[in-house]
Amino acid sequence: MTEDRLSRTLSRIADVRPGESRIALLLFLYFFLITFPAYIVKPVKVSLFFVSFSDRFLPLPYLLTALLIGFVVGLNVKLLRTLPRRRFISLSIAFFIAGFVLFWLLWVVLKVDWNGLSLVYWFWSDVFIATSVTQFWIAVNDVLHPHQAKRLVGFFVSGGLLGGFGGALLAWNLARAIGTENLLLFCPAVLVLTLIVVNLVYADRSREDDRGAAVDSGGRLAGSFEGFHIVRKNRYLLLMAGLLGTGAVVGNLIELQFNTILRWRFPNPDPRTAFLGSFFAALLLVSYLVQLFGTGRILRRFGLRTGLLVAPVLLLAGSASVFLFPTASLIVWAVLVKGADKGLENSLSQSARELLYLPVPADIKYKAKMFLDMFLNKFSTALGALLFFLFYTVFHVGLASISFITVFFLVLWLLLVRVVSGEYVGVVKKDLERKWEDGEKVVAERMDVDSARLVFDTIQSRERSSVLYAMNLFDLVRKDKLTPELKEVLAGKDGELRAKSLDSLLDVGGGSFFAGMEDVLADEEFGTQIKEVFELEAYRKVMGEHLEKAAGEGQESEVERMEAAKVLGMMTPEPRVIRQLDRLLRDPSPDVLNYALDSAARLKRKELLPLIVQQLGNPLTRQVARDALAAYGGRILGALVRYLEDHKQNISVRRAIPEVLARMGTQRAADALAAELVNGHDETEPEIIEALYRIRSETPGIVFREKRIIPAILVQIRMGFKALLESRPGEAPGSRLAFRIKRIFDLLSLIYPSEDIVKAYQNICQGTRKSIDYSLELLDNVVRKDIKEFLFPLIEDLPPEEKIRRCRHLFRALEKKGRSPDLKGGPAFR
Amino acid sequence: MVIKTREKGDVVILDIEGEIRRSDMSETTVHELVKDRLESGTRNILFNFEKVEFIDSFGVGEILASYISTQNLGGKLKLARISKKLYLVFQVTMLTKVLEIFDSEDSALQSFLRL
Repeated sequence: MTEDRLSRTLSRIADVRPGESRIALLLFLYFFLITFPAYIVKPVKVSLFFVSFSDRFLPLPYLLTALLIGFVVGLNVKLLRTLPRRRFISLSIAFFIAGFVLFWLLWVVLKVDWNGLSLVYWFWSDVFIATSVTQFWIAVNDVLHPHQAKRLVGFFVSGGLLGGFGGALLAWNLARAIGTENLLLFCPAVLVLTLIVVNLVYADRSREDDRGAAVDSGGRLAGSFEGFHIVRKNRYLLLMAGLLGTGAVVGNLIELQFNTILRWRFPNPDPRTAFLGSFFAALLLVSYLVQLFGTGRILRRFGLRTGLLVAPVLLLAGSASVFLFPTASLIVWAVLVKGADKGLENSLSQSARELLYLPVPADIKYKAKMFLDMFLNKFSTALGALLFFLFYTVFHVGLASISFITVFFLVLWLLLVRVVSGEYVGVVKKDLERKWEDGEKVVAERMDVDSARLVFDTIQSRERSSVLYAMNLFDLVRKDKLTPELKEVLAGKDGELRAKSLDSLLDVGGGSFFAGMEDVLADEEFGTQIKEVFELEAYRKVMGEHLEKAAGEGQESEVERMEAAKVLGMMTPEPRVIRQLDRLLRDPSPDVLNYALDSAARLKRKELLPLIVQQLGNPLTRQVARDALAAYGGRILGALVRYLEDHKQNISVRRAIPEVLARMGTQRAADALAAELVNGHDETEPEIIEALYRIRSETPGIVFREKRIIPAILVQIRMGFKALLESRPGEAPGSRLAFRIKRIFDLLSLIYPSEDIVKAYQNICQGTRKSIDYSLELLDNVVRKDIKEFLFPLIEDLPPEEKIRRCRHLFRALEKKGRSPDLKGGPAFR
Repeated sequence: MVIKTREKGDVVILDIEGEIRRSDMSETTVHELVKDRLESGTRNILFNFEKVEFIDSFGVGEILASYISTQNLGGKLKLARISKKLYLVFQVTMLTKVLEIFDSEDSALQSFLRL
């Protein structure tokens, strides 16, 4: 079967993308082939134990396992550290093949009559099951990325369930016919196939090297101590340990109750094995159906936290209900509760717990996993066994009353789920880095734009007018920007510059340049004198009359008007001054307007506002007009918003206003912009969104109401669908979609932690495969469901036909949503 | 001022001739030209300043606005072949802290390939 056909077949039952079908199928088979023997081993170990021991000794094998498992973990960690992964797993499988054969020989051929053998076999079985499952998840971590794993986990875990079903079915049907001990022979046969599949899985692997997870250059001792230390020092792993441990205690208490009731009900081994086989078969069938149709959907739709909560909530109800069952029917209660426990354990809970490991750094993940899965799991199981031993065996507490202890641990489990799922997001975030800084921030942090503009104006004015030049120099001095380097440039070591200035001196016919002029202007005393002159009553009168006369005659040259515009900003804002500036703000020359706007910014008079606003419509003066308006500050907010709302205004003017509001950066400005967004003015929407994003990134304390922002996000998503659906077949939707996605994320950053959203966006645009996955995982955990369900098909890497199909379906859904009363009046739903 | 456009690989090169000043601006400003290219999917833009004689504060504003628009979309905007005189002024005004400026077009194009 070709890759394409395989992919199409598999995508009918799971979310398998092209290129993934082979590895998904191999992992499916791998899990199938290790759980098949596991579910032969399980009923056999319990049955054979009860041949040698009574139910009061049931906690014994659990305690034995806990005592000895540390050595096994240590050996595994050592091997994991030194051997390539493929070889490590293959050697383990070979070891277990030999073990199965040996135990069969001891029981069936040599007929060893020693009670302790069933204890040894119990321990060995636990090691086999724990090691095999751990190694499988290690392989999953090796070959898949987190979001990929989340999608596929339902599929290949279902392979495990089917394998377990097969093994249990075999035990059920053959235990009575061939005897419990002879069931063991099927295990090595299956494990030989497992060996082949494992090698194929790692042959496919294209990611990082195949070495042991951590080469310890410090030469520290490996083993369970290392895994313990890693977990101890990492808050997230410590919480996971608590979660897993609590779950293991609960599981074991339920299992001990179940096995005790089983012993009462089935005193003989072969019927007991057969019953266990049938129980596990039924259990796994139900688990398989849940895994196939439920796990992936639950995790995608409701998130990781819900996935982790389902089991403890159900078991809490189940454990508490034990007192409702009469003793004769306790087997029913036991089957139901253990069924719920193991059913979820094998599907949803296991998948959710494994996902918790995914964002943990690779160098500590495997050691921690080894410690948690094998050692901690067994230790917690032993704790459960110890509690059972104390209360049931020693204190003779009734079997049903053991459920009180179970309930206690279930409540603890629920609390830990809450904490761990919160920490999970934090760990995912740590793996994401910003790809680039916002442009405005880069510019603002590295240079003084206003001063830079003044320098260029000063240099330019040298050509045109000594008066203008002197006034610009004076401004530089007042701003403390006349640096020695700048003085050198201006003082004209460059002959070309000096020659030009002399020419302009002759052209203008007035003023004078002299060597050292810059130093004179820089003198503080000189500066104070100039300031005092501007404030003189006499100066104001004389200059005012001069300017009015020159304007009235209409003979002013452009340079003279520039000089007038400049000086007006330095004068006291009397009516005469304002009148003159008003006139110059209507000047046809952009150079005159440049100076007039600058002066208007200094004087900040409200009567000049309309003229400044009109200059927003002129591309040659827009920047300076924006700066001038920003200088006015918050008191003109209302006026600016009115201009923004006024459809009769020049569209270029209206489009420039959001940036002015962004520069104000106040809560009021943000609220005004958000309100405009809700009003749905398509023509200014991009500028409003950009301005909102800028306010949010520069002033993190600003708050935005979800009620206003969410409809706007959905509008942008809808427009994104439209861009995608309107692209021709085979043609990439390209930049229209890219701009929509940018706007979606700009809006998301208003209602979610801005930096997280920015990182997610940037990594989706330009990240590695891994960081894209982490970004999607972060969004999956942070963004609310009603946005997520529409957003993800737009940003996920789906095959084109699948993407279009999903987007078409969601586009229709959004259209329908837009007609709902909740969103009426919102943007684009008018 | 005249602006000619050409492409080399995924880099759009704007050859600017004359003076970038408000009084000499054509119908389409430099920033508007850059925004048009960004909207059509370009992410790498190079300004060739070889034939730029003069730039005023408006011109500086246009370059910075173009830089910001490009940067915010994850793109890169760089300058090449700027005159010594102009470079000196760029240094004094700290524009060199924001803008990457190259001696030659080839070195500028090479820099777009580096991550």
